[in-house]
Amino acid sequence: MARLTRLLAVLAVAAAPVLALGCGGDDDDSGGGGGGGGSNGKPVEIKFWHGQTQGPAKLLQQMIDDFNKSHPGIVVSKDAGGVNADRMLQKVTAGLQADNYPDIAYIFGSDLANLAGTDKLLDLSDAVDKGDIDWDNFESAAQSAATVDGKPRAVPAFIDNLALVYNKKIFDDAGVDYPTDDWTWDDFLSTAAKLNDEDAGIAGFAWPGTGDEDTTWRIWPLVWQSGGDIVNEDGDAVAFDGKSGEAALGVVAKAASDGSVYIDGTAGSERMQQLFASGKMAMTIAGPYSLPEYVDGKIDYGVASLPSFGGEHTTIAGPDTWAIFDNGDERAKAAITFMDWFSKPEQQLRWIREAGSLPLTKDVSEAEDYDAYTKSLPGLDKFIQNTELARTRPTIKQYPQISQAMGKAVAAVLYGKEDPSAALGKAVDTANSELNVPGG
Amino acid sequence: MSAQPETATLAPEVRWRLPFNPWHLVLFPTAVLFALPLIWLVLSSFMSNAQINQFPPTIIPDSLHLDGWKTVLGDSDFPRWFLNSTIVALVTVVSNVVFCALAGYAFARMRFRGSTVLFLLILLTLIIPFQVTMIPTFIVMDWLGLVDTLGALIIPALVLPLGVFLMRQFFVNLPAEIEEAARIDGCSRLGVLLHVAAPLARPALAALAALTFLLEWNDLLWPLIAISSDQNATLPLGLTTFQGQHTQDFSAVMAGNVITVTPVLIAFLLAQRTFIESLTASAVKG
Amino acid sequence: MSAEPAAPRRTFAQRVLGEHPTAWAFVFPAMVIIVGLAVVPIGWSLLLSFNSADLIAPAKWVGLSNYDALMRDDALRDAIRHTVIYTVLFVPISVALGLFLAMGLNRKLRLIGLYRTAIMAPYIAAVAAQGVLFSFIFDQRFGVANALLDEVGLPRQGFLGDPDQALYVIVLIGIWGGIGFPLVIYLAALQDVPRELLDAAAVDGSRRWATFWHVTMPQLTPVTIFLVVWQTLLSLQLFDLVYATTRGGPLDSTVVIVYYIYNQAFELFHAGYAAAVAYVVAVFLMVMVGAQLVYSRWRTRHA
Repeated sequence: MARLTRLLAVLAVAAAPVLALGCGGDDDDSGGGGGGGGSNGKPVEIKFWHGQTQGPAKLLQQMIDDFNKSHPGIVVSKDAGGVNADRMLQKVTAGLQADNYPDIAYIFGSDLANLAGTDKLLDLSDAVDKGDIDWDNFESAAQSAATVDGKPRAVPAFIDNLALVYNKKIFDDAGVDYPTDDWTWDDFLSTAAKLNDEDAGIAGFAWPGTGDEDTTWRIWPLVWQSGGDIVNEDGDAVAFDGKSGEAALGVVAKAASDGSVYIDGTAGSERMQQLFASGKMAMTIAGPYSLPEYVDGKIDYGVASLPSFGGEHTTIAGPDTWAIFDNGDERAKAAITFMDWFSKPEQQLRWIREAGSLPLTKDVSEAEDYDAYTKSLPGLDKFIQNTELARTRPTIKQYPQISQAMGKAVAAVLYGKEDPSAALGKAVDTANSELNVPGG
Repeated sequence: MSAQPETATLAPEVRWRLPFNPWHLVLFPTAVLFALPLIWLVLSSFMSNAQINQFPPTIIPDSLHLDGWKTVLGDSDFPRWFLNSTIVALVTVVSNVVFCALAGYAFARMRFRGSTVLFLLILLTLIIPFQVTMIPTFIVMDWLGLVDTLGALIIPALVLPLGVFLMRQFFVNLPAEIEEAARIDGCSRLGVLLHVAAPLARPALAALAALTFLLEWNDLLWPLIAISSDQNATLPLGLTTFQGQHTQDFSAVMAGNVITVTPVLIAFLLAQRTFIESLTASAVKG
Repeated sequence: MSAEPAAPRRTFAQRVLGEHPTAWAFVFPAMVIIVGLAVVPIGWSLLLSFNSADLIAPAKWVGLSNYDALMRDDALRDAIRHTVIYTVLFVPISVALGLFLAMGLNRKLRLIGLYRTAIMAPYIAAVAAQGVLFSFIFDQRFGVANALLDEVGLPRQGFLGDPDQALYVIVLIGIWGGIGFPLVIYLAALQDVPRELLDAAAVDGSRRWATFWHVTMPQLTPVTIFLVVWQTLLSLQLFDLVYATTRGGPLDSTVVIVYYIYNQAFELFHAGYAAAVAYVVAVFLMVMVGAQLVYSRWRTRHA
């Protein structure tokens, strides 16, 4: 019953912190720094919410062991993965509100700009200047995704890009030539329509239909390819209105009217993944993380660049980040040391290989097993080359709102409810009004 | 709905023509309909991805795939999660039965100042969605130093507002005369509750126990926020580690769900006989 | 409150705490937990609703403008409409079907244990499993449901993939997965229906329907009130099922209030606005539940 008396004591002071809501940073007397210690010889302990599933989580455990052995002053705590990456932001938010947050957390690239609104998220500028983190070593797409308002605010954790993956057997059976790196979207659409076969249970390709980021990020390469952008240079209006947006949505509209696209309405769009992996789909637009599942499904597949509108075959890179939080200088320093170690070629290669990421650092190719890695999955080398054609989403606070507005437009076109220009018009209006109201 | 009066009135006339109780005609198909998706869940935990996605769908897989089961049983902290879930569920069941019965009885039988306000407060806590109260509840758990412990899961569930409401509604319905007789015999209020009301409300208490158990056993949203460490995870939370950002280990998810559901199902199958014991006498003639 | 006519001298405790001071001892432990854990969240989210806050950067006081904005929010209106549709279908069907099945399962039959367990089973299975399960069963192209329709020769349906059907499919899944609750409650409540009453009615030669309506049903009224209130709250707070199956799609046709709140707070970083929405809904419901409570008290007092 001791807990009950404690609970009562808490009730008595309940009102006080409620009132503190508007005041942002409290004094850090109640802060999460329970570990404390540090300078007096005790090792600094840091919390690492990696958010990984079983396989990568196991690898991280081993790597943490290695690190703890080779760095006696620091203990990266084990067995505290937090939650899976999907729910990490929610958990970190709760932690920030209660002043009880980890030292490192896995944060989606598209969430970083909002998280940067708190100074509890470390500004890595100093660490980069002092060379504690070898920033120039990161691939430029990875750098830009971890940079908010010109300042490095996180360490790149994961990167992928989209390419066209096709099922060779379905092409062979139909006597159709494989996709090439020079394909146009017209080639793509006509082939999808040709191979789509309701009776045989084969879909041309697939697009997620929930209208969330899964739906949206696949449309941006088409926007870029036709001369548009997500936001303009000043960041005060979208730049996918008019021709570029209509061209992009036009591809979706054509596929929808042909019936050659399987609309995946499931949360997380796992269906389309499974369907390609079980030989029910001729083509899919996918990232390298899907390849192991296709190998498991014994699919003989090939990989080509995304089609184009006759110009560049631009694709999109989707980076995620390790966000480092401020739990006092000592812990911050320890976290940075860990991340720097983690980004060294040997560690980096172990990590990207298990996580299904593409190379994040330039010098990872110096690692001993690098060649074995590039050959570990058929088509992986194609994705690695594809990085050169990849662009990233802007790290701005309004991205989630812009994404949902555009996601709705794509879904409306997919389901044949609206034509491209009408759907685009609404998305542009919604997104622009978000951009004009700073703060939200 | 409208089917209900018909069957109820038709029953006596039809009964003598059928070699079995006409209720079978309703219950058998219903039971099959309700159970089929779950049977498929069990079967699919033994299928490979390709088998699951076969079209037209297969019911009996042509070969057994045990990968999912191996992953769950052999490759994870599974026993630990199972233990944690059991601890949380059992502790909260006991405390809910005790405290909800006490409070529900008071609200049903005793007049006291503030009862209406308190009761409305209970309803208010039921109304505000958890998505809104989640973060402040986390803050309270942080003050109590319980974040990332089983305590954070247990304390908020010690007394479920739902349970108090439920028990009040049941006690209201019990005939008050028996209790008053006991009162005259000199029983205290607590004595009446223990010796007269509670035994009468046994089915309701059993229902409350079952519901609390299920709510806690299956809860995912709160553990997601409150627990960070593998060794403190509950079953549903642990199972999320098979569902990744880009891929999910489908047969492992299915196997995990089967493992989560099975012990509860068995417990229910065993318990339902005692749980609905008292009715059998009156049901014979039904 | 209402003074009993023949009330003897009242003690001090009775004057302060009401007729039964010991009642406070009965409710105290429950109230410590419930109120204790409710005070902070209720106050916290009320304050939040007056702020422009993303729960990350420092919040900014905006007075009533969140409440002002929600009056003009079409998406919120749609979410409310979807929630109302779900509620008016889910509550009566689940309560009536639960009662009907409980009447059937409340008897001694062969296989009754299996029937009870089978019909309870979906309630026991976690919602997470239901999501995966039904994305397979109701898949437009490759699902079992459409395979069955093919067999029977009926046209294929879009199910969860059709904006006009998805919400109703979710009602169906909700009933399938939620029927166990009213079922168990009614099974428990039927044990309380005194046998003498049923026997007396049987002797009277009352028809079954009349017995049910005049003997059983009045006995079940408090529990039915509970179930209607609770199933209503449950429908109004529908979230898990939508999150696991459609994420509000297709075309926002399954966005319900709590999903809308979740999306605003945790996807779009409009936590202050989300809190305001939650408050408006809560106050509205509180008024409804309060009115119902007063009404049922009035009825019992005048019955």
